[in-house]
Amino acid sequence: MSNTIDLSGDRGSQDLREGIYGVVFFVCAAISVLTTIGIILALVLPTLTFLGEVPIREFLLGTQFSPAIQPTVFGVLPLVFGTLLITVGAAAVALPVGLLTATYLSEYASHRRRAVLKPLLEILAGVPTVVYGYFALVYVTPLLDAIPGLELGTFNALSASLVMGIMIIPMVSSISEDSMSAVPESIRNAAYGLGATKYRVSTSVVIPSAVSGIASSYILALSRAIGETMIVVVAAGQSARFPDSISGLLNSFFQSTQTMTSAIVQLGTSDLAGGTTAYRALFAIGLTLFVMTFVLNVVSDVITMRYQEDYE
Amino acid sequence: MANENQSATAQQSDTDQLISTDPGGGGLSEQSDNQTVDSETESVVQSQNLDVYYGDTQALQDITIEIPSNRVTAMIGPSGCGKSTFLRCINRMNDLVDIARVEGDLYFHGQNVYDDYVDPVALRRRIGMVFQHPNPFPKSIYDNVAYGLRIQGNTENLDAKVEQSLKRAALWDEVKDRLDDSALDLSGGQQQRLCIARAIAVDPEVILMDEPASALDPIATSQIEDLIEELAEEYTVVIVTHNMQQAARISDQTAVFLTGGELVEFDDTDKIFENPESQRVEDYITGKFG
Amino acid sequence: MATPTSSETTFESVSRTKGAVFEYLTLGASLFGLVALGVLLLYVFWDAFGLATAEIAWYGALVICVVAPTLGFVAYARRNTVAGEVALELVSTAMGGLLAGFGVIAVIEVIAGPAVWFAYFLTVVAPLVGLFLYNRARPEVTWVGLAMLGVLIAGPIIGTLTLDTLTQIESLIGGPFVYLLSLVLPAAVIARYVIDDYLELGNGNFAAGLVVAVAFFAVPLIDTLPLVSRSVWLIFLSTLVTPLGIVAWKNLAAPENRVGFAGPGIFIGGVGLLLIVTDALGLSGPTPWFDWQYLTSNPSRFADQAGLYSAIIGSVFIIVLVALITLALGVGAAIFLEEYAPDSGPGAAIARLIRINISNLAGVPSVVYGILGLAVFANLVGLGFGTVITAALTLSLLILPIVIISAREAIRAVPDSIRNASYGMGATKWQTTRNIVLPRAIPGILTGTILALGRAIGETAPLIMIGVATTKFSPPSGLFSKTTAMPMQIFAWSSYPSAEFQHGVVAAGVVTLLVVLLTMNSIAILLRNKFETEEL
Repeated sequence: MSNTIDLSGDRGSQDLREGIYGVVFFVCAAISVLTTIGIILALVLPTLTFLGEVPIREFLLGTQFSPAIQPTVFGVLPLVFGTLLITVGAAAVALPVGLLTATYLSEYASHRRRAVLKPLLEILAGVPTVVYGYFALVYVTPLLDAIPGLELGTFNALSASLVMGIMIIPMVSSISEDSMSAVPESIRNAAYGLGATKYRVSTSVVIPSAVSGIASSYILALSRAIGETMIVVVAAGQSARFPDSISGLLNSFFQSTQTMTSAIVQLGTSDLAGGTTAYRALFAIGLTLFVMTFVLNVVSDVITMRYQEDYE
Repeated sequence: MANENQSATAQQSDTDQLISTDPGGGGLSEQSDNQTVDSETESVVQSQNLDVYYGDTQALQDITIEIPSNRVTAMIGPSGCGKSTFLRCINRMNDLVDIARVEGDLYFHGQNVYDDYVDPVALRRRIGMVFQHPNPFPKSIYDNVAYGLRIQGNTENLDAKVEQSLKRAALWDEVKDRLDDSALDLSGGQQQRLCIARAIAVDPEVILMDEPASALDPIATSQIEDLIEELAEEYTVVIVTHNMQQAARISDQTAVFLTGGELVEFDDTDKIFENPESQRVEDYITGKFG
Repeated sequence: MATPTSSETTFESVSRTKGAVFEYLTLGASLFGLVALGVLLLYVFWDAFGLATAEIAWYGALVICVVAPTLGFVAYARRNTVAGEVALELVSTAMGGLLAGFGVIAVIEVIAGPAVWFAYFLTVVAPLVGLFLYNRARPEVTWVGLAMLGVLIAGPIIGTLTLDTLTQIESLIGGPFVYLLSLVLPAAVIARYVIDDYLELGNGNFAAGLVVAVAFFAVPLIDTLPLVSRSVWLIFLSTLVTPLGIVAWKNLAAPENRVGFAGPGIFIGGVGLLLIVTDALGLSGPTPWFDWQYLTSNPSRFADQAGLYSAIIGSVFIIVLVALITLALGVGAAIFLEEYAPDSGPGAAIARLIRINISNLAGVPSVVYGILGLAVFANLVGLGFGTVITAALTLSLLILPIVIISAREAIRAVPDSIRNASYGMGATKWQTTRNIVLPRAIPGILTGTILALGRAIGETAPLIMIGVATTKFSPPSGLFSKTTAMPMQIFAWSSYPSAEFQHGVVAAGVVTLLVVLLTMNSIAILLRNKFETEEL
């Protein structure tokens, strides 16, 4: 058979160019993998050295953290406690407020109000965290201190967690609202048809139907709060504490606290020389932080994927 | 085009031999009997025992067909019986569907388009395609028609070629004063004619049309149909349609696909609609089943 | 058919109080965060502008001259939406132009200096723009893309090598002439294209000529103003005056749009009136911390001398670099993931891995990115602690996942029908991507990138970890010089206990940062709205 037309598509240099472009774009995408590898190596390698000097039991289970002042001891629990303290405080604000906000936006708000409120709420997430820290330190703490009966130190966990809660409201409300809006009208109509009030429909039909999205948003918000640095660095102080009683636990809100993130910052900006154990504690804490947030993010993804309601 | 006619005729006899030795499966034995493609009409596109699977589902069964050149060939049949799938095999647009798997042969100018050496991009530059919903690029009318020429590096006399395509697509008079306007400003019928102009600008040999008028109003539809009949003078047109009256109006040959991706009958349009060989085809055409 | 018994025809009403309470509860929750933030913002603006120090009468004058008329216009604009849109367009163009002008001053005039800028202009910018225009005129030429890539790589290298000779040019022709060539002329050309091709107003050449003429003829006037040098004038001519002129011209051309000019006019006129009135009546206004002196002074231990200048320049420098890096890498990665990644086989698995990896990276705390920057860029590669390049690279990695995600969304939003049309005509993958997909996706990509840059400009934790100085007394002078940044300076000052710092200097810094952020976000949102309404 004689071929009078060429279907082999040899376009010479154009093929070479196509190939080059493909490689260039792949490299751009692959940089993200390099970033992850870089993060893991940057955290793990110094931590291994650190764990050679500090027994892992002391690190993971020790209740004292004193990297610079003798006797030096490197227990991470006080930092974890501080992180959890702030996170719980922030969650106490953001989770209920966020869910109620999502309910309003998805069930009650008119289109116009929704179109105005949603972007406004995104502003809350867009304020730089150092500004939030400054707000907590300079405005919120004096305000709270003025409440009779409340004795707050200049640096305290309460202001920081309150302000952090405000910051993460949009995370909860936005994702929960997407989830709730995805509940089909037909399900709501079924409930209305049975004579349910709007309140009933929202609380007993819509919210349970959207629960996986809501749970996922909660977990993401917690992960964000755990990893947040500047608010606590500016407003919560740097005293690593681990309470020994319930009243001590509650009291911790009113005192200065050190979280994992602020410990990392403190170690990073201190005068500690590069090769010391105390400096390497920075990376060990960083690894702990990374693992915690990573696990939470993965759990959130799994919940979204596995339990995503299929309404059809 | 002259040499290609000759070699096509030479290949015609080759493929004739191949076809006549084919025992023929399914309902395809009509092919050699009803070979009404007269010996003066060449065939540029042929398929042989073409099977197409989407994942585990078989969409086309053992399709053997010769599409005659410079004619309008219609493919009719109920929805989901593989007409569009077959169309998309011709220019290998099915390659873009991940789960599609093709077995068998499909020839364009005697070359098997599924051979390893064939570059689908080169193939598609010889075959034009018009889709069901008009899909002009969000560019000017001029840039839409010129797109194919530009990407092939074929840019001498661009203005003249654009004008010629628009004239052939019966759109020139309506847009000649506003070639720089956005194509999206045109009506649906105009947009579809623009898509046709765009496809013929690169002078393909075959134009594939996948239900080109189904999204248009009756007036625009009849304009498209008139256009298709004119186009057949220069190009080979293969049109998928679920509108049987349309197929009866404009096509020279009609292929009837029925459920399961089976090519049941392929013959002159008059024969198919007045006196089909197969009872199933007669039932379909007279509407006994969908 | 059942006949209703007479005693059973009334329906009890179901109590709605719970529902009503609940509705108000949810509304309150929605507003809670906004109200709290609003109060905090009020506090900080109060402090920053020293509003406590003004007389009541001054406030009265302010309300009468400025606030009331402007609010009147706003109320009018609610009914006449065209006026509101035009006013908004004028204001945002002005703000954007101002910001761009300051950015250009910061990067080119202060950091690089006109000589260095001109050197790189000749070796990088001019060839790139020339290639771009050549491609527009003759789209069939196919080597332009690779040529531009080559210029991007080779240009800076050549520029750096020949820096000594090239900087001599500037001494010959002078700084302002450099800006005339490199900024004003391009602005004039762009103006011509926008007016003629895009807006179709006609007289594009006249407009271009006008721009150049104004450049020259305003010089004597400029020379009399102390604050504005010729270079500064030319820079603002190209970034502020020309775009504003185009927008004003466009709106003047349509009679129904002219009302919009009343908005900014009322405001500016009101401010002028206020100044006259308060001067005449001897009313004392507030003594703000946030003023010109604050923006142009370097930090100091003394509150009344402290300023944000070096931090502003540092932030601008860093963000410009971050923008370039993340746009290039982010769009490239998004193109790969959306257009080039195979759907099956080992390539698909790699692509899936990359996608999952990117969404995980988006959730990593910013302080961890700081540790990464410290370990890799500062220590391993040796780019220095707290230098501009280290900060830029670290912040780029931080926001890269966000940029990639929004670029992917923008690319995905391009309908498949036109992709199929392009492939059906035998276009290659790159041809389809470059001609069909990218042009359609660029507004969305830009919006997402600007929002991500807004996040980067406010990030502090990574900067702390890579050793950015808490105070620097001079702006950075090059890629490898140590720098500070706005959030860093704010952080440093917030630990100074004196009330003047806490309620004065820091407040002004916060306000500066917020104003910059607000402008960036507004530009992004305006971009998005504008292009969303233009399509379809």
